[in-house]
Amino acid sequence: MTRPRLSSGRLRAMFLTPAAALLAALFGIPMVILLAYTFLTRGAYGGVTAPWTFENWQRLADPLYAGILWKSFAVAAAATLFCAGIGFPLALFIARSERHRSLYLHLVILPFWTSFLVRTYAWMFLLRDTGLVNSVLLKLGLIAQPLPLLYNYGAVLLGLVYTYLPFMVLPVYATLERMDRSLLEAAADLGARPLQVLWRIVLPLSKPGLRAGSILVFIPCLGAYLIPDLLGGGKTILVGTLVQNQFTTARDWPFGSALSMALMGVVLLLMLPLARKDGAAGGDLL
Amino acid sequence: MKRRTFLLSIAGAAGCSGRRFRLNVLNWSVYIPPEVLRQFEREAGIQLRYSVYESNEEMLARVMSGNSGWDVVFPTHYYIRPMREMRLLARLDASRLKNVNNLDTPFRRPVWDANLEWCVPYMWGATGILFNSRLAPAPTAWSDMWQDRFQGRATMLDDAVEVFGAALKTLGRSWNAQGDGDLRAAKNQALRQKPLLRAYMNAEVRDQVVSGDIASAQLWATTAQQAIDAAPHLQFAYPAEGFGLYADNMAILRESRRAGLALRFIDFLLRPDVNANIVRGCRTATANGAARDLLQDEIRALPTLYPPPETLTRGEWMATSPLSVQRLRDRLWTELKSA
Amino acid sequence: MTSSGASVSLAASPMRTSRWLSTYAVLVYLFLHLPLAILMIFSLNGSRFTVWEGFSLRWYAEAFGDQELLESTLNSLIVAVTATAIATAVGTLCAYALWKRASRWMAAGLALSLVTPEIVMGISLLAFFQWIFGHFDFRLGMHTVVLAHVMFSVVYVVTVVLARLRTMDPLLEEAAMDLGATDWQAFRRVTLPLLAPGIGAAALLAFTISFDDYVITSLVAGVDSQTLPMVLYAMARRGANPVVNAISTLIVALIGTLILAAERLRER
Repeated sequence: MTRPRLSSGRLRAMFLTPAAALLAALFGIPMVILLAYTFLTRGAYGGVTAPWTFENWQRLADPLYAGILWKSFAVAAAATLFCAGIGFPLALFIARSERHRSLYLHLVILPFWTSFLVRTYAWMFLLRDTGLVNSVLLKLGLIAQPLPLLYNYGAVLLGLVYTYLPFMVLPVYATLERMDRSLLEAAADLGARPLQVLWRIVLPLSKPGLRAGSILVFIPCLGAYLIPDLLGGGKTILVGTLVQNQFTTARDWPFGSALSMALMGVVLLLMLPLARKDGAAGGDLL
Repeated sequence: MKRRTFLLSIAGAAGCSGRRFRLNVLNWSVYIPPEVLRQFEREAGIQLRYSVYESNEEMLARVMSGNSGWDVVFPTHYYIRPMREMRLLARLDASRLKNVNNLDTPFRRPVWDANLEWCVPYMWGATGILFNSRLAPAPTAWSDMWQDRFQGRATMLDDAVEVFGAALKTLGRSWNAQGDGDLRAAKNQALRQKPLLRAYMNAEVRDQVVSGDIASAQLWATTAQQAIDAAPHLQFAYPAEGFGLYADNMAILRESRRAGLALRFIDFLLRPDVNANIVRGCRTATANGAARDLLQDEIRALPTLYPPPETLTRGEWMATSPLSVQRLRDRLWTELKSA
Repeated sequence: MTSSGASVSLAASPMRTSRWLSTYAVLVYLFLHLPLAILMIFSLNGSRFTVWEGFSLRWYAEAFGDQELLESTLNSLIVAVTATAIATAVGTLCAYALWKRASRWMAAGLALSLVTPEIVMGISLLAFFQWIFGHFDFRLGMHTVVLAHVMFSVVYVVTVVLARLRTMDPLLEEAAMDLGATDWQAFRRVTLPLLAPGIGAAALLAFTISFDDYVITSLVAGVDSQTLPMVLYAMARRGANPVVNAISTLIVALIGTLILAAERLRER
């Protein structure tokens, strides 16, 4: 009995329609509006006004902005690597647990029910000179002077990793959980030690989850501005803050839009080779 | 939409019920104590919806659509002209304000709105230096913030106008100097200072000065007063070279359909007894002369907020900048931050 | 740890949790929960400042008396529940369709929405809503917040569900259809149940993101639709405010209890 091909296509189209409509209305159109903004001029005190111009795009050519973009990529990449490194073993732990698996999962997400702003302020409280960490270290006699734990790239990385860790753990867990145990048992039966099993079978098989997690961490980290601002002490400027400034303090929406478009363009360029590699599957993420 | 109405009706039923008229007020945080708001609600029989913001930009973002639902806002004086030009403000009829003559003399015909057609001054302040003399020698001028006396425990505000303004003062120029050369010189000056700073922070630095993490911070007088209330050993300096002055004003949005009620609210805030209560509750410097008369004792105890008049002569009202200046300043600020 | 090839149970497989892994997990959980613990401890501090001044519940009392805080919490919950429901449904269907056969447009669209910084998405939505509202007499409110939340949640749901679908065997559905099921039945009775944990994880993620969102919400919320993160941020910026700690602790305790209860029910 063959599958009725027609209804398969119809079902699929039906399933795709709500998401497509949503994307078109709430993303496509707003983005077109924003793109239009990049060609307009800034109003005297904000907003956009008439003369169409290429000026905003020309301003982008400045090496100042390229430097900022590069720094932001580096920070986001570092945060993603840390998240993967820290998150993968944790996801493994949860996937291997016989009991309490849901509990462990929920424990990962539980801190997230507090506003991330509140948690960032909590970290500031912990890391500052008179904060808990320094006080404990001083009391234990391990250091003589308070360590400058706050207002540097280290603190920013800590904040980013802390905030986006679940975005890595959950997808990786979802992939690990569904993994075929018999493969692992077979490997063990063939004489592989647990570490070999991990390295040669589990890790490669969890690639979809790792990739999904990496993208879910990298992108927000790239555009983050509250966490770098608060934990970085405002001494450096990343692209998220730059864009945010354009839309608020500087009130230069056209230039802010141009920056945003440029940012999105560069990230897409990065993701393009990944998409092509998987060919028919349409990309390793989507 | 139905959900929202449902939710509102629950909230309304849970809160005060039975009042039909409502006024929506958007203000800076810690600028009116809750008791004063309740007092107005009782006396006028109106229900107030009150929300707060932390910066003029935030306020502007919320009201810029022209259809935001707010009635009364409190812009800082150098935002009045821009907001007028963006056609966001409604014309005030100051003659309908019975208490307008309670304003202190400098504020009756302010530079930014001589005839009080668009706003009414409310509270004012200045930018200076909050410091902890136990941790480092006391600063008395902006140039002290350029010296390496705080072991890196110094901060400046995260605001281009404030930082460049202070830099300009150390170079002997006006706080409001807007020429290309002035701004570039300011940026280079600020660049020299950057390695000495712990961070660029706004009001959040208050708690850190109180706890001793930061020894010296560029800060507004009002916020500094809050810190001093918490830690009396702290002090505030009005820098010798000069400093920036600002005043927050009451204004009615053009979109508001409750201008009459709004005027009533403004008039209420102009009452000397009400204004004095606000000062006592929020620790701010008022533009209301009649209220000042009621607060003689308190004022003597608040040199941070009410410095002697000679000190104030060194201050300059912060000015609005034209578009090209804003662009250059923004660009130089980005350069400073990326360095 | 040697393998015990004879037994087939998971517990005895080479996947048995090693002690290193358990210790590591404990450390990570400590790291994740340290700020939370700090918040809880200081919510019980009698003093407003960081000096410990005795045990006190006054901040909780103040939190309950704060009308704005309660209203915004309710708003956050309503928005999160609604947006999660819609986003999970739409996203799961979309992920399934993409799994069956990739669509480059859809993939590109979703990828683009993922790549967009929050501030950009927020501004574009604001511009869009204002443009529409110029024609009708609408205002920003709960509806715009919900729409915005659905918008940015969908792509996360699709990502998680798709990642899990990719580890599933497509032959299962084919087998079902060879046995006479239509593809709708195959989806509903074979794939969906297998997908359930993945959908659950996606829904949880969507709910968390929605509840915690600040940037986009602050841009598209109206006068009456302040959410909890907005109120908390405003309070936190004004300095250490233990009421913030109190309400954060309350929420965590509440959600924790709900989750525990849900677990108990499930295991019954």
